Amino acid sequence: MRRLFRFGGNLALIGLALLTTAELSNARAFQEGGEQGGGDAADKSGDAEGDKEDGPEHFFAVVGADVYTGTGAVLRGATVLSRNGKIKAIGYDLDLPPDTKTLDATGLRVYPGMVAISSRGLVGNATGDFEDTIDPFNSRMVLGLATGITTTGTGNAAVKLKRFSVKDAVVNDKIFSALAWSARNPPGKRTLREKFVTATEYLRKYRDWEQKVKKDKELKEPSKKGVDVTVLAVLKGEAKAKFNAGARDDLLGIARLAQEFGFRPVIEDCQEGWTIADELGRAGASVVLTPRARLPKREDLTRPGGSSIENAAILHKAGVPIAVVPATESVDLGGIVGRDIMALAIEAGFAVRGGLSEEAALASITIVPARILGISHRVGSLEVGKDCDLIVTDGDLLHYETFVQYAVVDGKQVYDKEQELFFAHIRPRAPNEAPEKKLDRGESEVKPAEAKPEETEVDGEKTEEKAEEKKVDEPEKDKKEEKKDGDSNDHDGGSDESGSDEGGADDGS
Amino acid sequence: MSLPSILLAFAPAAWTSPAPSTDFYAIRVGRAETVSKGTIEHAVILVEGGKIVTIGEDLPIERGIPIIDRPDWVVMPGLVNAYSRLGLDGDGGDEMNPDVHAFDELYPASEDYAEVVKFGVTTLGLYPAGNGIPGQAVVVRPTGNTPEEMRVHDPAYLKIIMRAASNSKKLLRDGFKKADEYDAKEKKAREKWDKDQEAKKKKAPAKKPDEKVEEKKVEEKKGEEKKEEAKDEPKTEKSDAKTEEATYTPSEPEPKTKPFVDLRSGKLRALVSISSAAEYLHLLDAIDKEKFTWDLRVPMTREIDLFYVTDKKTYDLDQDGIGDRHVRVVMEPLITLTPGTMRQRNLASELARAGAKIVFIPRNDTLLDHERWLTHTAEMVNAGLSRDIALRALTLEPAELLGVGERLGSLDKGKDANFVFLNGDPFEPTTRIQAVVLEGRVMFGEVGL
Repeated sequence: MRRLFRFGGNLALIGLALLTTAELSNARAFQEGGEQGGGDAADKSGDAEGDKEDGPEHFFAVVGADVYTGTGAVLRGATVLSRNGKIKAIGYDLDLPPDTKTLDATGLRVYPGMVAISSRGLVGNATGDFEDTIDPFNSRMVLGLATGITTTGTGNAAVKLKRFSVKDAVVNDKIFSALAWSARNPPGKRTLREKFVTATEYLRKYRDWEQKVKKDKELKEPSKKGVDVTVLAVLKGEAKAKFNAGARDDLLGIARLAQEFGFRPVIEDCQEGWTIADELGRAGASVVLTPRARLPKREDLTRPGGSSIENAAILHKAGVPIAVVPATESVDLGGIVGRDIMALAIEAGFAVRGGLSEEAALASITIVPARILGISHRVGSLEVGKDCDLIVTDGDLLHYETFVQYAVVDGKQVYDKEQELFFAHIRPRAPNEAPEKKLDRGESEVKPAEAKPEETEVDGEKTEEKAEEKKVDEPEKDKKEEKKDGDSNDHDGGSDESGSDEGGADDGS
Repeated sequence: MSLPSILLAFAPAAWTSPAPSTDFYAIRVGRAETVSKGTIEHAVILVEGGKIVTIGEDLPIERGIPIIDRPDWVVMPGLVNAYSRLGLDGDGGDEMNPDVHAFDELYPASEDYAEVVKFGVTTLGLYPAGNGIPGQAVVVRPTGNTPEEMRVHDPAYLKIIMRAASNSKKLLRDGFKKADEYDAKEKKAREKWDKDQEAKKKKAPAKKPDEKVEEKKVEEKKGEEKKEEAKDEPKTEKSDAKTEEATYTPSEPEPKTKPFVDLRSGKLRALVSISSAAEYLHLLDAIDKEKFTWDLRVPMTREIDLFYVTDKKTYDLDQDGIGDRHVRVVMEPLITLTPGTMRQRNLASELARAGAKIVFIPRNDTLLDHERWLTHTAEMVNAGLSRDIALRALTLEPAELLGVGERLGSLDKGKDANFVFLNGDPFEPTTRIQAVVLEGRVMFGEVGL
């Protein structure tokens, strides 16, 4: 766990620089920075008074939790305040407006809501037109939120798990151009290359025409005939080229194609990626992988091959952004339990087992998939101006024992473990540990104390002890140290990890 | 109350008719479930010409009036099934067919109608088959030799099927778009007409009165020709000029547009079929700011998740819930389960508590389930649904949904004499239907008239 506060070295300084000292000394650490590229203007503006919208304001705050912002600092016992679904402030001693709905998460952790880069069924049964087909009462959506997923890529869209509403759930609906490159299909490879050549030529002519047409308005636009629109979209940067490949020679081919034609591919699976990590890094590829995926080595070849648990770690080291996805993308309880979409965080944990840093592992299920889906200006980390999509857990997100206690989407609580059927019975919140319910969720709640009046005390003590035990792990130690050292240490952990990802990739290409 | 005097006032009518006919008779039963005004013990009802003339407690009955005298029976209004395809077997289209009328499908000789009356059903709302927007329902009495004889009211409602799908939402929006186009066209025509009228007024008295006369003469000469012209283009200047105090008559909208124009004007109401909570929100999304009267048809499935949208408050919805809108919900009397569990829910009760109006229909559109309709409803009452709401959901509420609430659905003076006679409380398991009366006529049972 020490890695957490050591990583990033000089990058940590950059991260710190973004947090002005004035803000720190104020003990009202408003958080900014991080995801600046691609974000809209509001992201940077922070707490501007000018951006008032019509209608009533809705305030929501998660109070007292350790806030893992994802791209920045870890703030112990801090508050996240949102206004109308957007994060307004993250910090200490915030003045909460009088009608703020508050969720007391003392002793718990807050993470950015996870982004499942691809899943099936979480927002309904349809595979397109999500605006018109989304089912916000789907039990799989509840299970997705119970997993900690608040946004998912599905089909060619990125959709939020916005329960109880069918509005504004789609964040991006034109993401990928799916392309194929396989050694088993040489004609296919040739055709794809030809498509890139034609599209490049067209684009060159088009840009030329764009310049000249300003002077000569009679000039005809170059013909689009024979130009593949999906490939053209990739070259124009309107869509991302997505490949599905695992074997080394295919990966090499994709990397070289990408460098030749100047685009940054997204590669799914990528089991043998670790053998040519540097090539992929240079090509600016992003990789969507499953750490537990297995591909046998071809025994007739002497080169290293096959899948490796270290795949994610090695690729990450080479500057390749890693997004993790489990083996099965749906909620599947029919035989491969533990490898479906509900194992998203655990799958990232397996990447840690293979040597990936915990920060990169967290990024692989939050900000990196958000970037790949082109929605990192809205979700993927906790930053002022971004959507208030967060999860409250009772422990380290990557730990198998951890449960998501609450999930919040657009500043509205949409999941409470105790209120839903699925996990309420497992390690129920002890009465004295339960955060005070300030949210109006009706009066249907049966308090455990009422259910078993005799055992309450014993239970309470036991849970308390257990909680104490659990707390004595590294973060707690760090917390104590920080308390001695003062505020500045709070932000040691905060460095722009994401910056290192992109930086690496940029250098390569 | 001077009810006895009313009785006396009507009594002579009985004396004058020489043969005692079933056109005028009295009913004396142990109890009457009026639905509109609660229960009346020792109720007496006077029926004439198929209508209820009066109803009250223990009213004296003139000697000589034929009487159904069953002090151990209970009477309630005839059951109204607002959503049925009994006796119809047509197929429907998948898309936009709002101009289809279920009335056109009617086959009076169907044996179903004679059978269903025995189960206490005296009014049926028959809807057209199909998906998308299948067309308009008709209210019928389950008796008669011709479709016209069966018809009570037409159209009852426009059936619309809403699914969580783009094409489904588009269909509804397109319908109103067509109505928009019609409105715009009409507005233009109206403006033009007004202008013409004004121009004529200015022209006529001030400048050239002769010309006008001439014009008239010419028109008269034209004779038949002109008439044809007027038929083809009823809004042309000439036809308007013909009448001095001309009133503007809007053109008839296209058959497929008309139902939507009527929805807007309140002439027609809609019954929207949805099957899940999500589809309710999608419906609201599709309706957007459009204003028309609509009720809901929700087929009950075992694990339906409609409880999420009963009201706005419970789940903090960004839209009003079903109860908040006080719409009717056409549903089967069925206990449902919380999805993924064996936890039972009484959705009818939940909806009613939230403010929605319940309309029950038989669990299946078969004769067998019509026979068990009261028993199934009794199950809901047993599971906590208010008895009054349950009775209403079988009679007055569906009648109001069908637009015939003024005419039938409760035991009130002036309403159709549709009765179900039972040998006990409607919701007791041992209770059986003893007799059924439809608009005064005894359709089933031995009443001893």
